[in-house]
Amino acid sequence: MIPAYWYSPLFSFLWQVVLHSSIMGVIFYAWAHRVRLPSGRPKRLLLTLLLVLPLLTAAVPGRTGLEFRERLAWLDSGRVLAVPLLAGARLYHVVLVVAVMMVALTAWQEILPALRRPKTSIADVPERLARLALSLPGWDRCRVVLTPSEDILVATGGRPGHSRLIVSQGALGRLTEDELATVVRHEHAHWQAGRWIRSHALFVVRLLQCYNPVALWSFREYCLEVEIECDAEAVSGRDPRLLTRTLLRIYESTDRRDVAARSALRKRVDVLLDGGRRDEALPVPTIAVASSVLLVILPWVV
Amino acid sequence: MLLGLRLLHVGVPLFFPDTRPGPFTLTSLDDVRRRVGFAPLVPAYRPAALGDRPSSLTVWLSPQPTFVIVWRGENYLSVTQRRGGAMPVHPPTSQPLPDVTDSTWWRDGPRYHLVLKRDEFWIEVETDLPSRDLKRIADTLTAY
Repeated sequence: MIPAYWYSPLFSFLWQVVLHSSIMGVIFYAWAHRVRLPSGRPKRLLLTLLLVLPLLTAAVPGRTGLEFRERLAWLDSGRVLAVPLLAGARLYHVVLVVAVMMVALTAWQEILPALRRPKTSIADVPERLARLALSLPGWDRCRVVLTPSEDILVATGGRPGHSRLIVSQGALGRLTEDELATVVRHEHAHWQAGRWIRSHALFVVRLLQCYNPVALWSFREYCLEVEIECDAEAVSGRDPRLLTRTLLRIYESTDRRDVAARSALRKRVDVLLDGGRRDEALPVPTIAVASSVLLVILPWVV
Repeated sequence: MLLGLRLLHVGVPLFFPDTRPGPFTLTSLDDVRRRVGFAPLVPAYRPAALGDRPSSLTVWLSPQPTFVIVWRGENYLSVTQRRGGAMPVHPPTSQPLPDVTDSTWWRDGPRYHLVLKRDEFWIEVETDLPSRDLKRIADTLTAY
């Protein structure tokens, strides 16, 4: 048996979010694998649903009582959590350890870097770079700042109406004018078509699930898909090889131990060489039907 | 996928019976301590109208270990013993039973309800016996 706190409303809800997103994640992953789903809007939609839907299905009331678990539920996960392992430990102990590790990972990878932002300066910003940024639609009040890093780093930050373009000295020195313009267009694309607000809303959803490994994975995949979407917008009507070369340069200058960053860069290059994203790979009504079916089924798993 | 989940639901308790929270039906009071880890409290006062033997003995392992014993004859008596947790739900009109410590009782139609706190246990009594029997039941609760 599992301790009584697993039956408390909050604990039960948090666990069911993990449970439902795991089930949904396996189903969506198998589906995407089967239809060989390429990068594009359908993939982003599936990842968004994977982050949001479990919060809804886990919140359906009236399912935590023993009566429901024993007589009506399709699966009472309490039975699985109570499976004995070694030396008095049960499966729920493993789940608790994983949850604590995920919280620590979130603090290490997302909160600490935010506190250790690189120093930036508005001095010595090249005129051509400032002109290029300010000429882009909606960026007439964009602030361009420099970081002293010798790595190739171009990023964007700020909030709507107060966007910032961060460029490293390394990027200024090692990228050609055309390459720099393409990368700036990529960063600008992050502020177009509601991408900024969607990404930040999902980041909040992800932070709420900081203990949930599926949410961590799906948000990372979502971010990669947004990068691919912004790549496509940056090279729209232009030669994609320019951005491909730039990404490969960044790939080569990235520390070999940073497997996640290198893997993401490689994927972006592959998609660019493969002809870009495909937004019609899976019809939205099909995804809506699949999500509705899961919305009905998952509440029967507690 | 769904079949696999159902298989877990049904299969896990077959190999690990104590993974189920309950209910488990018992045939003897001797089994209660082994299943829930405490000695059952049983009222020594049991009018003949309840019948010779209890009609059911049931235990739950989660969320709190709980034992329920029911007599069903001409009259009805149910005693639920739960270790820990919050006080059982009771109406605001309930009041302490005279001369019985940590108690509250109320009437609900033809049935009387009594909630007692005994050490780490919450005891709930439900019966259609006369109200005067509530105190007798409370006073004669003894560990089996």
